[in-house]
Amino acid sequence: MTDILPFFKSIISVSGLSGYETPVATLIEQKWTPLVDELSRSKLGSLHGLKKGSVSVKGSRPSVLIATHMDAIGLMVTRIVDGFIYVTYIGGIDPRVLPGTPVIVHASKSGEELYGVVVMPHTNLLPEGEGTGAMSLKYLMIDTGLTAGEVSKRVSVGDVVAFNTEATEIAGGCVSGHSIDNRASVTALTVCLEELQSKSHLWDVWAVTSTQEETSLGGAQTSAFQIRPTIAIAVDVTFGKGTGVQGWEGHELGKGPTLGIGPTIHPFLHKQFKEVAEKVEIPFAVEPMPSHSSTDGDALQLTAEGVPTMVVSIPMRYMHTPVEMISIKDIQRTGRLLAEFVVSLEADFMTKIAWD
Amino acid sequence: MKPLLKTLTETFSPSGYEDEIRKVITKEVKPLADEVRVDALGNLIVRKKPAKGAKDPKKIMIAAHMDEIGVMVTHVDSNGFVRFTGIGGVYPRNLPGGHVRFANGVSGVIGLEPTNQPAEIPPLSKMFIDVGASDKKNCPVKTGDVAGFERSFLDLGDKLVAKSMDDRIGCLVAIEALRALKSTPHDVYFVFTTQEEIGTRGAQTSAYGIDPDLGFSIDVTGWGDTPGQKDFEVALGKGPAIKIRDGGMLSDPRIVDWMIRTAEKGKLPYQREVLLGGTTDAHAMQLVRGGVPVGCISIPCRYVHTPAEMVDINDVTNAVKLIVAMLSNPVSI
Repeated sequence: MTDILPFFKSIISVSGLSGYETPVATLIEQKWTPLVDELSRSKLGSLHGLKKGSVSVKGSRPSVLIATHMDAIGLMVTRIVDGFIYVTYIGGIDPRVLPGTPVIVHASKSGEELYGVVVMPHTNLLPEGEGTGAMSLKYLMIDTGLTAGEVSKRVSVGDVVAFNTEATEIAGGCVSGHSIDNRASVTALTVCLEELQSKSHLWDVWAVTSTQEETSLGGAQTSAFQIRPTIAIAVDVTFGKGTGVQGWEGHELGKGPTLGIGPTIHPFLHKQFKEVAEKVEIPFAVEPMPSHSSTDGDALQLTAEGVPTMVVSIPMRYMHTPVEMISIKDIQRTGRLLAEFVVSLEADFMTKIAWD
Repeated sequence: MKPLLKTLTETFSPSGYEDEIRKVITKEVKPLADEVRVDALGNLIVRKKPAKGAKDPKKIMIAAHMDEIGVMVTHVDSNGFVRFTGIGGVYPRNLPGGHVRFANGVSGVIGLEPTNQPAEIPPLSKMFIDVGASDKKNCPVKTGDVAGFERSFLDLGDKLVAKSMDDRIGCLVAIEALRALKSTPHDVYFVFTTQEEIGTRGAQTSAYGIDPDLGFSIDVTGWGDTPGQKDFEVALGKGPAIKIRDGGMLSDPRIVDWMIRTAEKGKLPYQREVLLGGTTDAHAMQLVRGGVPVGCISIPCRYVHTPAEMVDINDVTNAVKLIVAMLSNPVSI
């Protein structure tokens, strides 16, 4: 197995916010070019890699679409006051963790990437009672160090602002950084494609890095419509056990991926995944998803006349913060499991998919 | 332009009941278009074909919704008072004392139950419509009947006020752009959509039917230029707003570029719009089939979803110029 860590660190060191995914898409494109037979971008920018299967059938070959979203949460400029930049969210962000975060402002007027930090005003400058505790986003600002005149020459309302926390290897085989949601799964899918280079598989594999998951699930929805896969798998991150996340909603880091179960997921696909994982001795946990999966899976399942869908997740701590944390081993295991699942798909698999 | 806007805004058209407005718009666009049809959800689809010999025409969909917010009768009590619910984003604080008109021509006023907290805005369930009836039997409206808000058009010079600027002003811009567009290298579909206020439904199905290469909506946006209104950098009179994001959509950056490049080339004023809540037909258009690159041209509008929505005529004429310039030249996206 090749060392996937450098690739993973490279894709969590660039921006690529929802709707603006090109910086990360370019890196993935380079990595995937030798791993797939065809590579293209969808109308909404999702990257579609096709690795052809070997079964010859009448009509089109059955296909599995594996979706990992490559977009990241971030910020967008709403107004500029005296050189300080005020922002809103793209995707869901907890404002409590923002002060002190290093960011990159993608300045549209000058085309520059400006470094900045999220700062908060001094207590004395805030309305009565607002100076203690967590601060609402409306008071937070970005300081780029430039004068007011220099900022307004470069930055406009609507410019995107990405997190710029460094990708850091830390103890316990973990990595911390921004946009691990969901570039960890993009990495796992890359591991899967690498594994499949030396394995034979009957089905076509559509490896998709989708766009706009954090805002509308729009990338996965439209890619699935275009591709019309036989079955679909969404791979995303899930809540890792740790501070604030205990009980059934959290899963241990370093203990393998989770296999979703619930109305989004076709029970037969869940069962098949479980059997494959047991056979190749990959540890996993079962993750109840009693309503929605809150992943691309929700859109994939409802595409066109419906697509049998599975959701596989990698436990991650500190979701939607600039310091998300994940176990690299879990990423590798998820990639291997995906590859083994693809290999397990027989030509007549769809005849076995049945409701009990 | 003003007489047409007066007719458009004073026409009855709550979501799902767009017959009257569709007739008005059809009459205007018929002489200007190559093809006019109505689809299953009532969308009015108005096509202008590419000029002969046009190279690589793009199928472009432009959506302006012709429905408006309104109310629907839930029941009539024994004394003839009409209880109702909202159609679309009807805010209780904008209702007391308002006039409504039903499809059958009956008018009424909105009354409130008495309350111990006069400073609080009661919910819709504590309001009723008084149509002048004395009991249920002689009440001229029944459960399920639909009413629109009534307010006559007001001309304040550059500033214009009406009950349904949202989104008759978009319809006006689309009509005037079609009128001014002598020739285009594109296959242009102006779609006057239905049911936007209850979830961009007309745009969803018409976009599916048309299957455009790219598109945009024309709709109103909020404002940041009246007392106490903060944190929104859009003002009336400073040009149409080019939407970068709203509560339901991130505009495709390529469409935003196309709009800005065209505005700057034509020396037309424009504003960059980052709207936190609410969305437009473009939200639905973006996600149909395999996806569509979309954006939105917004007309800044004060007091949205009240019976007194205000726009600036200069933003309207500049929006028309911008759209005509965009449609007059080839585009590569």
